[in-house]
Amino acid sequence: MSQEPIVEIRELSKIYRQGDINVTALDNVSLDIARGEFVVLMGPSGSGKSTLLHIIAGIDRATSGKVLVQGINVANLNESELADWRNQNVGFVFQSFNLIPVLTAFENIELPLLLTALNRKQRREQVQTAMDLVGLGDRGHHRPDQMSGGQQQRVAIARALVTDPALIVADEPTGNLDSKSAADALGILQALSRDAGKTVIMVTHDPKAASFGTRSLHLEKGEIVV
Amino acid sequence: MNVATFVAKNALRNGRRAFLTIISVAVSCALLISLLTLQRELTTPPESEAASLRIIARNKVSLAQPLPARQLATLDKIPGIVSVSPFSFFGGKFREEIVTGFAQFAVDPARFAPLMVEGHILAGTYEDFIKDRNSCMLGADTMKRYGLKVGDKMKFTGTFYPVDLDLRIACIYEGMVDDRNVFFHHKLLDELTGDPGTVGTWYLLVESAEVSNDVITKINKAFENTSAEVRAETERAFQMGFISMLGNVKLLIGSISTVVVFTLVLVSISTMSMAIRERFRELAVLKALGFKRRELFSFILAESFGLAGLGALLGIGGSWLLWSHIDLQKLTNGFLIYFEVTPRIMATAGIVAALLGIVAAIGPSIAVARMSVVDGLKTLD
Repeated sequence: MSQEPIVEIRELSKIYRQGDINVTALDNVSLDIARGEFVVLMGPSGSGKSTLLHIIAGIDRATSGKVLVQGINVANLNESELADWRNQNVGFVFQSFNLIPVLTAFENIELPLLLTALNRKQRREQVQTAMDLVGLGDRGHHRPDQMSGGQQQRVAIARALVTDPALIVADEPTGNLDSKSAADALGILQALSRDAGKTVIMVTHDPKAASFGTRSLHLEKGEIVV
Repeated sequence: MNVATFVAKNALRNGRRAFLTIISVAVSCALLISLLTLQRELTTPPESEAASLRIIARNKVSLAQPLPARQLATLDKIPGIVSVSPFSFFGGKFREEIVTGFAQFAVDPARFAPLMVEGHILAGTYEDFIKDRNSCMLGADTMKRYGLKVGDKMKFTGTFYPVDLDLRIACIYEGMVDDRNVFFHHKLLDELTGDPGTVGTWYLLVESAEVSNDVITKINKAFENTSAEVRAETERAFQMGFISMLGNVKLLIGSISTVVVFTLVLVSISTMSMAIRERFRELAVLKALGFKRRELFSFILAESFGLAGLGALLGIGGSWLLWSHIDLQKLTNGFLIYFEVTPRIMATAGIVAALLGIVAAIGPSIAVARMSVVDGLKTLD
């Protein structure tokens, strides 16, 4: 594993306004994540772990501080640039899979590639590679409702890595899975980090899931405590 | 998969809703087309080149007031007039019909012949009509409708005049702006009514369109300060005046059309809003994957436009097929003759549907543009 930091976070704060009250979700967080690391963010509800994940992934903005991902200050990108940046650099895995129900597994995985300059053949090859990586070789033409939870999460992981991003963020990816499927999904994420050099950042409540990571960080009241 | 496939799959994901939306747009488009066609039928008189050469002179007081027959001598002397014929509406009832769908006019056959600029005789001879005072000239449409032929008798019960007519068909005409009418001898009407020395209106043909206004002025001046002042106007102006007696048909039909379109807009906006609200999470995911606001707007617009377009296609095509294959003249007893769904009317309905697709997409698109990815994902998780 390389020690080159892919994510550099400096004095990051996020304050939400809830009615008349300011709620501090992240308080002066500083953190480096190396390329190829599998970092697990843990902590109680409201500790700020999902907020931190969202800011790193470029779907939320910090109130103050700096987030550099592969040397790019995400905060300086406008909406449009941020969308392009996410498409090229970040793969998302969600707790509830968030697949498009009217599309087949193949089409769901292909979705992020519609924003690239790849032609139909290249897209097909790339989708097939992603499907093979997660062990979904022959399920391409099935719709999400025709697949188990574990298979749907594999499709979601394949969708996250089909654009070959450097960073994969997973927000409680095993929350809706049985223990066997959860272990399979975590094994895939672990392999992506270990064998393919992807940086994986995962939020979870589950200590078993955390054991698949290379580093665990605990957050409480917006601060990293471990 | 390409973007078009993606949009199509999304648009048709809820089959029943998509079907109902398409049908509601189709029915509304068909209704709009029918209303616009009806408006055109009622407010646009048939036009022909010859109509600009024909002038109708009526009593200035009202159309119902007759004019003295002696005015003919004065009219004959006005330069620029080719021919003048009395033209009196008989208003008889044919057979036992409650409403007779064609008019009968008393004319002077010899003087009337030059006025039939665009018409021609289909069967029988005009000479026969001129010679026989008890004969008539019948329009081809009415002949076909009642299965009549030259030599048959037509009996009319007078409603305006207290006399009945028993006419022999001398000839059949076609090619006029209205091929339904019956023309008979004014002399017969005079004879039956005791020769009151009056006519309903005067029907004139002028030499050219250029002299038309001059002739109208001269006619009006000729009878100024007489017991029967006249109002002369072109055939088209006369028809427009006649139409105005129907009331403000344009406003009435326009109002109904507006209500139809407005309802259609509400239905479409509601449908699109529902469809998008159900997919807020998915749209948030698309944003997370890198789709931009403008791309999501394009998807929503294409979806909305596609549904409205399909509905419009069905509605426009359906109404065109319906109205071009139904014998509306027969169904309405001659009240509606052409009921032609013109390309202009179809284009209007198409534009309305297109605008509808755009308007229905605006609200949901704004909501999606404002939605942050995190908020969108929270609505689900």
